[in-house]
Amino acid sequence: MVKKKLVLSAMAVLATLSLAACSNKSSSSSSSTAPTGASVKLSESYDNTAAVSQAANKGTLKVAEANNSPFQGITDPALASNAEDTDVFAPGGGDNLFNVDKNYKIVNGGLANLKLDRANNTATITLRKNAKWSNGMPVTAKDVEYPYEVIGNKNTTSQQFSSDFNDIQGMAAYHAGKAKTISGFTYPNGQNGRTTVIHFAHVTPSMQYSGNSFMWAAVEPYEYVKNVPIAKLAASTQVRKNPIFTGPYKLNKLVEGESTTWVPNPYYYGKKPQIKHISINVVSSNNIDKAVQSKKYDFVTGGLEGTDYNELKGLKNYHMIGSPALSYDYFGFNLGYFDTKTGENVMDPKAKMANKNLREAMLYALNLDQVAKKFGYGMTWRANTLIPPVFKQYYNASEKGFPLNIKKANQLLDKAGYKKQGKWRVQPNGKPLTIYFGAMTGTSAQAAEYQDYLQQWHKIGLNVQLVGGKTMEMNSFYSTLQAPKQNKIDVWAGAWSVSSEPTPTQIYGKDATFNMGHFVSAKNTQLMNEMNSNKAWNQSYRIKAFKQWQTYMNQQAAVGPDSFSYAWAPVNKRVKGYNINPANNEFWSNLSLTCPHVQ
Amino acid sequence: MWKTILRRILIMIPEVIILSILVFLLAKAMPGDPFTGSINPKADPAQIHHLMKINGLYDPWYQQYWNWVVHLFHGNLGQSYQYQEPVTRLIAGRATNTLWLALVTMVLTYAMALPMGVFAGRHEGKLPDTVIRVYTYVTYCIPFFVILVLGIWVFGYVLGWFPTTGSIATDANGWLQTIGSRFYHILLPAILGALFGTVNIVQYLRSEVIDAKHSDYVRTARAKGVPSKDIYRHHIFRNSLLPIAAFAGYSITGLLNGSIFTETVFSYPGMGLLFINSISYRDYTVITALVLIYGILNLLGTLLSDIILSVVDPRIRIE
Repeated sequence: MVKKKLVLSAMAVLATLSLAACSNKSSSSSSSTAPTGASVKLSESYDNTAAVSQAANKGTLKVAEANNSPFQGITDPALASNAEDTDVFAPGGGDNLFNVDKNYKIVNGGLANLKLDRANNTATITLRKNAKWSNGMPVTAKDVEYPYEVIGNKNTTSQQFSSDFNDIQGMAAYHAGKAKTISGFTYPNGQNGRTTVIHFAHVTPSMQYSGNSFMWAAVEPYEYVKNVPIAKLAASTQVRKNPIFTGPYKLNKLVEGESTTWVPNPYYYGKKPQIKHISINVVSSNNIDKAVQSKKYDFVTGGLEGTDYNELKGLKNYHMIGSPALSYDYFGFNLGYFDTKTGENVMDPKAKMANKNLREAMLYALNLDQVAKKFGYGMTWRANTLIPPVFKQYYNASEKGFPLNIKKANQLLDKAGYKKQGKWRVQPNGKPLTIYFGAMTGTSAQAAEYQDYLQQWHKIGLNVQLVGGKTMEMNSFYSTLQAPKQNKIDVWAGAWSVSSEPTPTQIYGKDATFNMGHFVSAKNTQLMNEMNSNKAWNQSYRIKAFKQWQTYMNQQAAVGPDSFSYAWAPVNKRVKGYNINPANNEFWSNLSLTCPHVQ
Repeated sequence: MWKTILRRILIMIPEVIILSILVFLLAKAMPGDPFTGSINPKADPAQIHHLMKINGLYDPWYQQYWNWVVHLFHGNLGQSYQYQEPVTRLIAGRATNTLWLALVTMVLTYAMALPMGVFAGRHEGKLPDTVIRVYTYVTYCIPFFVILVLGIWVFGYVLGWFPTTGSIATDANGWLQTIGSRFYHILLPAILGALFGTVNIVQYLRSEVIDAKHSDYVRTARAKGVPSKDIYRHHIFRNSLLPIAAFAGYSITGLLNGSIFTETVFSYPGMGLLFINSISYRDYTVITALVLIYGILNLLGTLLSDIILSVVDPRIRIE
């Protein structure tokens, strides 16, 4: 259930700290503690002690997908590009290749095992003996390779191609349409065998983790879809109407855009699912709270916000289960441009925001703790670094981030020569200073947050204004920021969702086009390289590299951490075995019911 | 009359062409493109450029327009970028849902509004009239989405009388169950739509009935001793229907418009939501196809209204 998607939705934020009372008086709990800064402590699992009811297990587990629009219905993870599809087809297992541990590190025991060979720069993927699709066909070595063909094909509709795939031998040629196959894949026992070997230019430590950008961690049923041209695959009946899966459940019925229903997959290799039916219905975010309150659903997937938590936290018979989300909100500063000729970001020393003191002052002026407290209801809290706390090993909890400190902000500005002339401060060279703040149009709570930011900045004498005097529609916001060179937005509030392997090169690297603030430094490049250097095969070295990078980024204040949040859901009392720790690879099979009806 | 209809249809051709060019240009003028924002951070921006290129999004607008027109004449409205399937198939699925919902809503609306309008007009100034007028004004004042949210809460969640999401139950099998389940899902939004959509019809009908009551032919009929019931049924009602008939064309072609509010609240996949989503995703192919369809339907609606009017009222001739 790893979602990889750049969150460009304006809905991301909503904040919060310290709502002192938490209503989780229940049998739930595991040993998790609240992440640094979060006031509400959510548990990752619901340890229900009630006895399983066999009669109840013959019934239906009812899941709600909170979303305002119908899902698109693309079952193939290589082609889907949104979280709704991932959610409504989740019981099919996402065709995942590997099992992972609690840190998303790939471990043996899943559909296939992975072996990295550093001497020969290969990754060997060996399928288990009883690996089968839900129609009884065996999963083959070719099925492991085929998603790369789908994603890399010249005429594909997939948006999943990662520049790191070019590290696979022959991928560049195939991607350009110059080769019919990808030469970097070999099959020691033939295409119908169980072993696939991928030949890389080099293997890196990040490859040990699920969600890395070098490998695609899902299979594609080659025999089943081979006659469909790749350009038409997403529209084919094999993908839309009669998809096959490798997970614990198989699709029983699909109502386009509305619902999916599932029954156990008799060919599943792993733990036998206990519940006989699962239904997943799209429920509008507008009335998801009412739907849960009227006990229509066992649990909810999809986006829930702090306001939903505030509505549902005291609800009888439901437990709020969650863990820090794979995402973070941030403040970006425009520091240069992207040179399209060299393909590299360049910092402009004359940029309006080039002065580090100015940036630091702006971040210290914000009252992010209060904003989070007021609008997040405990589900969001002030972020202190650019690696979210879901990565327990890499997250640098000891970083302070930028707590409110108006005095320090003023001192920094005075020191840097931004003197006050009349109402506003001016640039050190005496010219007037107007800073343009880019923010996406969102909820009324977000609008209030933006106003608070402006107010805080005005407090320290900075003339900060919304770009064009108002918030920006999502498309214009990102098309402005993604332009190689722009001077409309000086500082902006954005959000990233990250994959389960947190190397940040694609967002902050020298050649990253997503590095929209264009911050570049030799030290930054060096620190990020260290995360995946040869020494980083040593885990403690890798952890150190991540933590150093977080400290460095805060020192430079080129990107300011804004907020972290929980990914959470209300879970009904009759559900047993609900556990969202990544190490719970048998999430669906571990679920059972203790009562015939939602309580 | 047939000549006129043919002429009207011929005039529609340049209208549709101009409309399509406008729509096409305006869609492209919006900031962003189908791939803005839906990119995974591990993705290669070069891949996005590649996708833009193979989809011809870098071509000059007239070339893109020409390609689109050529495909159009092959019955191909293109491929949705967002849904990655043919636009025709996408719209067909949504249109069916929208059509059923709108049809039931329309039938219910007329079934309620017509008797109410006549009744109010007949008892002008008396208590029933006042009650009906207050009712229509109140329903007219309340924003429809408030009613929907309140309705789904009371009848869907609290009382549990109606289903609350989608267009069909997940466990409906066989054609009888399927039709039954579909109807059941449509019922609540349709009743709410009808209850709160009567104002126009009731008000028009009421004032027409009041006018007709005092007209010469009614007086004549009364003088001849025609029973009051028959006067209302045969003389007043038919004549009062004229302004309603003028709407009818639009009502019929408007069945496909879809309601964004209803669809959002009831998670009902229809045309309204598709349109809004296609705009925010910059799904050009879907936007242009939908606007074109709406445009053509509107033109047809006008024509249809004129035809209906001339059929209902022999005094009106379209020449």
